[in-house]
Amino acid sequence: MSSTPLITVENVNKRFGAHHVLRDVSTHFEAGQVTVIVGASGSGKSTLLRMLNRLERHDSGRIRVDGIEVDDDLTHLDALRRELGMVFQQFNLFPHLTVLDNVALAPRRVRKTPRSEASAQAMDLLRRVGMEAHAHKYPFALSGGQQQRVAIARALAMQPKVMLFDEPTSALDPEMVKEVLDVMKQLAQSGMTMVIVTHEMGFAREVADRVLFIDQGQVAQDAPPAEFFGAQANPRIRAFLGQVIH
Amino acid sequence: MKFAFPEWPGHWSRQQRSSATMVLASVVLVVLLWLMAIPLALVPEPIGVNAQSFAEGTRVTVQLTVIAGLVGIVIGVLAALGKISRIPPLRWIASLYIWVVRGTPLLVQVLFVFLALPTLVPALQLSDFASACVALAFNAGAYNAEAIRSGLLAVPKGQIEAARSLGLSSFFTFIDVTFPQAFKISLPPLVNNTVALLKDSSLAYAIGVVELTNVGNRIQAATFQPLPTLVTTAVIYLVLTTVLTQISGAVERRYDVEGRQP
Repeated sequence: MSSTPLITVENVNKRFGAHHVLRDVSTHFEAGQVTVIVGASGSGKSTLLRMLNRLERHDSGRIRVDGIEVDDDLTHLDALRRELGMVFQQFNLFPHLTVLDNVALAPRRVRKTPRSEASAQAMDLLRRVGMEAHAHKYPFALSGGQQQRVAIARALAMQPKVMLFDEPTSALDPEMVKEVLDVMKQLAQSGMTMVIVTHEMGFAREVADRVLFIDQGQVAQDAPPAEFFGAQANPRIRAFLGQVIH
Repeated sequence: MKFAFPEWPGHWSRQQRSSATMVLASVVLVVLLWLMAIPLALVPEPIGVNAQSFAEGTRVTVQLTVIAGLVGIVIGVLAALGKISRIPPLRWIASLYIWVVRGTPLLVQVLFVFLALPTLVPALQLSDFASACVALAFNAGAYNAEAIRSGLLAVPKGQIEAARSLGLSSFFTFIDVTFPQAFKISLPPLVNNTVALLKDSSLAYAIGVVELTNVGNRIQAATFQPLPTLVTTAVIYLVLTTVLTQISGAVERRYDVEGRQP
């Protein structure tokens, strides 16, 4: 691709105490691309994702998102978090707010959108994820799959350029995984740039433009899904795939 | 005990209902304080003739409690934030404050504010009532700080991460996400502290504030009838703590969106 990448990661290192989580990682993410990050647990894939919006700080190296340097500068952080939407494994909906208020809160506070307008926009987003009928419920009354769909709508409300997903289906009962993946597929088809940490290999094969395999804090492979899931030459990846694909 | 509420207009938000609950309950309290001398006057000697004094003393007790209670919650929030602050001097100041206030008797604190503070800073020569308010507010604040701190620490980290990743500033993260959840968790211990404050306000007696206990003791000394006067005094305290727990129970139910309370 000729365009400059939307996100660049250069020589990034991260340690948690003595544990060297990410070792000199360099990669980039293009606009409109769906990247799936896979790897064994503890390989550093979630840490890499969380560093993109500064929920974890990198010890050395450089990360830029749409020209914004990822560092402790507060104006950078504000701009950065407007660009990136994030969906968490544990949904993290605000339990004291209704579904509608969960989605409308950030536009009202950050963009100063009037309440009525923010609610109308939130309603549109809830319709998009099929949750409009539950707008006035509180999160505790929803199933995990429903909560995660609301969490996606909430992240979309800030109109981010990139959506980050940190194991979005790992905390769900099996029968609820599909409804969340369907929403994510629909989002991918709309041209959204997505970076997804997941164990859903079927989803990766079908939707991803690219698969990043992280092993022991390094990018062990960066390949299109056909290649990644095809005749895999790397023995560690073969072993990993043998464990996760049933 | 259930507190009977009218049917609220359906379109009201929970916050509006909560505010309305507090306003309504406050009105009930004011009416009670205003008119309580009427039923008291019907009670036989020595209560009836002293009904006005009891009413007056009760009003002072409630004033002390409300002022010190509200200021104490503000101080408690600030001290709790200080104690979990990332800035070491703020942590030291908050810890020192809580350590000193919890480690010394309230009676000493009341006497200190009224008698010793003016000798240190002559500008701080406060009236007996104001001195009692200051001492009680700072005392309640120290206990509230620990209640609120435990609430703040109980809010899951993921909530703050979600708020920050949505672009909310740390100010709005606190106002919209952390504090409402922390306050809900802190509410039962805060109510405990406020009930204790209502009763501890009787220590204002020591510096001459004419509050309920002071009134009761004066009347029993003057009439030589300790039993009816002290029973009346105790019953009035009991009514006040009952109203207080009803208000706080209503607030708690308003925050309880999950319906976890029966």
